[in-house]
Amino acid sequence: MHNSITNHQTFYNLTPTAMELVDFIDDGEDARHFRFRLITPQSINTPKPGQFFMLSVPGAGEAPFTFTAKPNNQGVFRALIRKMGDVTTALFQCQSGAILGIRGPFGKGWPIASLSDKKIIMVAGGCGLAPLTGLIDQLIAERHHKHLALVYGARNRALQMLNPERLRWQREISLFDVLEDTGETVTSSKNHVLEGTPLDAMDSVLRTLDWTPDMLLLCGPEVMMKAVAKNFLQRGLPAQSIWLSIERRMHCAVGLCGHCYLSEHHLAHHYVCKDGPTYRWDYLQPPEKTE
Amino acid sequence: MKIQSFYLNHPNTLRDHLAKSYRIEPPQAAPGQNTPPLVSPKGQLFAEHENLFTFDGECFRETLPNPEPFALFGVQSCDLTAISYQDQFFANDPYYQARRQQALLIGIDCLSPCQHGFCPSVNAGPGVKHETADLILHQLSTTSWLLLACNQKGLGALEGLSLNPANQPELNDRDDRIASCIEQFSDDSHLKQGITAINQNQVPEDLWQQLGLQCLSCSGCTSLCPTCSCYGTWEQQESNGDIRRQRFWDSCLYESFQREASQHNPTEKAGERVKRFWTHKFGDNFAKEFGRYGCVGCGRCEVTCPGVIGVHSVMKRISSDAQLDN
Amino acid sequence: MATKVTTTICPFCGVGCGMNLLTEKNRLISVEPQIDHPISRGQLCAKGWSSAYGIDPKDRITHPLIRTPQGFRQTSWNKALETVAARLKQIMEETGPQAIGIISSARATNEDNYAAQKLARAVLKTNNIDHCARICHSPTVAGLNQTLGSGAMTNSAEDIFETDLVLVFGADPTENHSILGGHIIRAHLEGTQLIVVDPRRTRLAKLADTHLQLKPGSNIALLNAIIKIILDNRWQDKKFLDQRCEGLAQLTASVANALEGVEKTTGISLPKIEAVAKAYSQSKRAMILYGMGVTQYVSGTNNVIALSNLALTCGQLGRKGTGINPLRGQNNVQGACDMGCLPNVYPGYQKVDNPEVRAKFSQHWKTEVPEHPGLTSMGMTKATLAGEFRGLILFGENPVVTDPDQNLVKRALGKLDLLVVAELTMTDTARMADIILPAASFAEKTGTFTNCERRVQHVQQALPPLGEARTDWQWLAAIAQQLESDQLDWPDSEAVFREITELTPIYSAMNYAKMDQLHGLQWPCSPETPEGTAILHKDTFPIGKARLIPVHPIPIDENIDSKYPLLLTTNRLHFHYGCGSMTRKSPLLEREIPTGLLFINPADANELGVTHQSAVGVGSRRGYIETRAMLTDDLPPGLVCMPYHFHEAPSNQLTNTAQDPLTKMPELKACAVFVQPLEPGSFPRPIDEISGLSVEGVK
Repeated sequence: MHNSITNHQTFYNLTPTAMELVDFIDDGEDARHFRFRLITPQSINTPKPGQFFMLSVPGAGEAPFTFTAKPNNQGVFRALIRKMGDVTTALFQCQSGAILGIRGPFGKGWPIASLSDKKIIMVAGGCGLAPLTGLIDQLIAERHHKHLALVYGARNRALQMLNPERLRWQREISLFDVLEDTGETVTSSKNHVLEGTPLDAMDSVLRTLDWTPDMLLLCGPEVMMKAVAKNFLQRGLPAQSIWLSIERRMHCAVGLCGHCYLSEHHLAHHYVCKDGPTYRWDYLQPPEKTE
Repeated sequence: MKIQSFYLNHPNTLRDHLAKSYRIEPPQAAPGQNTPPLVSPKGQLFAEHENLFTFDGECFRETLPNPEPFALFGVQSCDLTAISYQDQFFANDPYYQARRQQALLIGIDCLSPCQHGFCPSVNAGPGVKHETADLILHQLSTTSWLLLACNQKGLGALEGLSLNPANQPELNDRDDRIASCIEQFSDDSHLKQGITAINQNQVPEDLWQQLGLQCLSCSGCTSLCPTCSCYGTWEQQESNGDIRRQRFWDSCLYESFQREASQHNPTEKAGERVKRFWTHKFGDNFAKEFGRYGCVGCGRCEVTCPGVIGVHSVMKRISSDAQLDN
Repeated sequence: MATKVTTTICPFCGVGCGMNLLTEKNRLISVEPQIDHPISRGQLCAKGWSSAYGIDPKDRITHPLIRTPQGFRQTSWNKALETVAARLKQIMEETGPQAIGIISSARATNEDNYAAQKLARAVLKTNNIDHCARICHSPTVAGLNQTLGSGAMTNSAEDIFETDLVLVFGADPTENHSILGGHIIRAHLEGTQLIVVDPRRTRLAKLADTHLQLKPGSNIALLNAIIKIILDNRWQDKKFLDQRCEGLAQLTASVANALEGVEKTTGISLPKIEAVAKAYSQSKRAMILYGMGVTQYVSGTNNVIALSNLALTCGQLGRKGTGINPLRGQNNVQGACDMGCLPNVYPGYQKVDNPEVRAKFSQHWKTEVPEHPGLTSMGMTKATLAGEFRGLILFGENPVVTDPDQNLVKRALGKLDLLVVAELTMTDTARMADIILPAASFAEKTGTFTNCERRVQHVQQALPPLGEARTDWQWLAAIAQQLESDQLDWPDSEAVFREITELTPIYSAMNYAKMDQLHGLQWPCSPETPEGTAILHKDTFPIGKARLIPVHPIPIDENIDSKYPLLLTTNRLHFHYGCGSMTRKSPLLEREIPTGLLFINPADANELGVTHQSAVGVGSRRGYIETRAMLTDDLPPGLVCMPYHFHEAPSNQLTNTAQDPLTKMPELKACAVFVQPLEPGSFPRPIDEISGLSVEGVK
């Protein structure tokens, strides 16, 4: 009954693998799009869109981030990171060539299989666009879906992220920029620019589209995601067609440390690192009351 | 393996024998019968501070603990049940397992209820369950004990000790004594009602908030709870310049437990954190996964909570509140 | 490696909880509560549970350090002691002993404190000895000494469970004395009436039967009104007043007009005041617990006297479940006072200005002792700035963070010719020292702490001192030796304690063995009361009859005006202690720091355009700091609040230095400030970055 510690194959690895900071570009206020390189190219499994990894900055700690592009043959991948706490502050002080750590990929990604033939609307807020980036690229490449629109909310123009990516996507999908503060007159981009929050803008977005979404993917602040989800439920979209990606504090990413619990209702027993970060709306709702 | 049973004149005989091959924990004290110690043996397996790895500037190296064989001597059934719960929870945790595989578990039957204990209500005692220990001690009289070997590991540890096999009447006595101990436990209707109310979502948010107001976030309950397992991590520089990551016991009752770098905090209200704690201990969904509730009925939280929201206090509040409603 | 268990006492607040230290290979690995401890009964607060982090070898000072132009350099004990002694001698010769002083520590043991005052009085020949009670409870000592003849808590912690009514006045025990706060919660749940008087809606205020949310600085107005109502209704304890008190006539006369305008002054309706007056006076047993919301005012001493008047009027003293009970802040602030680390008293509160007392100590120590009372810590600061004070030995205190008007303190410390600081870690004060001595932590020494209920408890050594660290009384003794004195040559801490008992009547029948056996001994513990005293003033007061002393409302020193339109008060958080030098080493407690450190009512915030957790600037006539705002209904509009633990945003940059005239207690609980929002999205700057900016420059 006691497995020898050495030949137990399923142990969690709480020790990172080394990787190198290749370079970065500034992308939005206090945010950078980083390129990292695995020191040993195949040292992690290939991530699916929506999965995340744990980034270690030695001396500062570890925190979860999403892949915006999965590792290529040389082990180079990308991630968009906003300066927020201790780990990211330390990361922003790192130079090219710095040795960092990675564990992952972790969690369940977006439900790619169920996106075939779907008319998809994605709603992202702030850095919530990052977990959708790999998915958008994959959808555009594979073209199994019918339609794709992205509604991207940000406080103002300076805080918008992934500008090159959005420029690239605008030829392929319907893009709506929603800004709480639109500032000066809008430039002549192909993007639709709307004022307010994504929820405020939704009527106008849906009027503009010549199709009705049958799949909603959400990523951003929880308040925004929940408000938009409820709005679409009212519009008649079934709960099974709404997915959201949830953020939590994490220290292990394997369901041990306990920090990322989700207590959406009295019976909920979820760790976002294992059961998420993507959830179908109905999974988060309490079961019918039994009395 | 079939359980094998022997007579033993005194636990010290066993203790002295085991001391030849094992570090004995706790080191001094004869096994306390009928009252578990204030601090459970949790930290022997899930260390309060555990080094995870070191980083030398280029490589990350896992630092697994390598303890000598040790014997947890005279552990009550509640704590053994907790260990078996944690064995499941930490099944894939290499640090826990590195310690666990060196541990020999010697249980002791409780023969009278302790002050705050309610192990029978949560199927965790007072008699030691055979699958939770390697060896079990049971007092027959001041000069005579039963010693049960539950598995090969336990039997192997007895090698070199000359023991006489026990007879069936004494084994039956053991069962009788445990049964009679169970009858002496006080009324647990508040616990049963509380558990139902929690699982049927009948506890009003207001009550959780009132209980939350009494939570001082001291971390006492989570430190003493033998099944609590949350941890945080931090990194420190060693004298040679290497970076060491360590994990340490954390508590879900701290306001900052879930606070993110962005300052977003899904459980900002104390009531939500208190609710989470009790749902974790008594939620049916957890029971489904682990085959039992997270609570083993030791009652330590009742002792250590300065805010009077230990298990009995909380369950009494919940059940009286539910009765008022009905 | 087996675990070693050492029983000791928690090093944080004045409650004095029992704690076991678990060590392995001379390293503290864990702490656990003691289930059989009479006060804590198996409980600890967040600080207690985290105390292993506080003395972690990381960041500890392990060797003597000497200041050089290039920064601190490690040196030997011999060299450090020689330097200290040489400079002390020089100052004594040039300016005299009045230019030298010691600030001892309410966190150190009784033995350490006794040694400190003896070094001052018997070796340096000065009464310039003080400690931080100045900034918590000096008005208690001064006030209760006048009215009752003793400045300590009159009753015991266990009385909370044997009373009908608990009146918590200007104290936040669940945060600052958490285990006692928990006792109050438990007693209240079991039926004890709970009344809380506080400008803030504290945790206990939310749980209480009645919360009197008075305006800051209106304590005396409220108390006099309560007394007036009691007298008008004949609710007083006539027998107690007749037999045991004097001054009723004057008190009655002094409160004649106390109800006029009291609703406006206090912000509390008369019926509510009446209800409290009735409840307190008519309860069979009612107990007052109070804190720094009483003492940290220019009216501090008078506030204490007013509370004492109330308790005496109702005869709520001298019995189980009654009394007037100050909640002492630090683990051994009671002991530091008991040991005479005050400029005007010897150990056991024997007065310096009493020739008989001086003769007693002089004979016992076989040396001359100085005649005149010495300087308080604030007095030393002022004397330094005036060029009259030159050398200071300080240990276990961080006045640069904890004293009011830090800028003044910093200037004074910078001006000293000699500053010796003994510390565990590099604090802001230690950074200013000429010599830093490595001090042993509570886990590394043997001695005694006296908790707030006068219980002297034994602290046992669990670890060897780290590096070259020494117990305070030992390095104090080494300084004495360098000055050619054998006054402090004790073989061990028990010998120090024996000398204490020989000279301190209230400790005279104590010893370590009895203390261990009985979980501590409450003073007075003399041959007449060999097992100690749980309740003071049972039959008589040390001054015979207790005194009712008329006091009148004194407005706060600095009121709001158009430039500084908000009133700032200070608080403490459960998770942190003092300047945070120990608690902030815990990753858990450090994480618990609220993101906003300025607590402000949403209405005020709204008016100022301040949002939750946004960066704000806070300025007073004395300083300016930046922090984040925390919007909360716990504060009434017009009042803002800051904890003082954090050196990044030290509230003491702002607080007023106006003092209680008698005790020099600064008015930390009220000063006028402005609050302004900073650029959205910007980060508050730590004080080091701001300094250099003038206050005018930012407004």
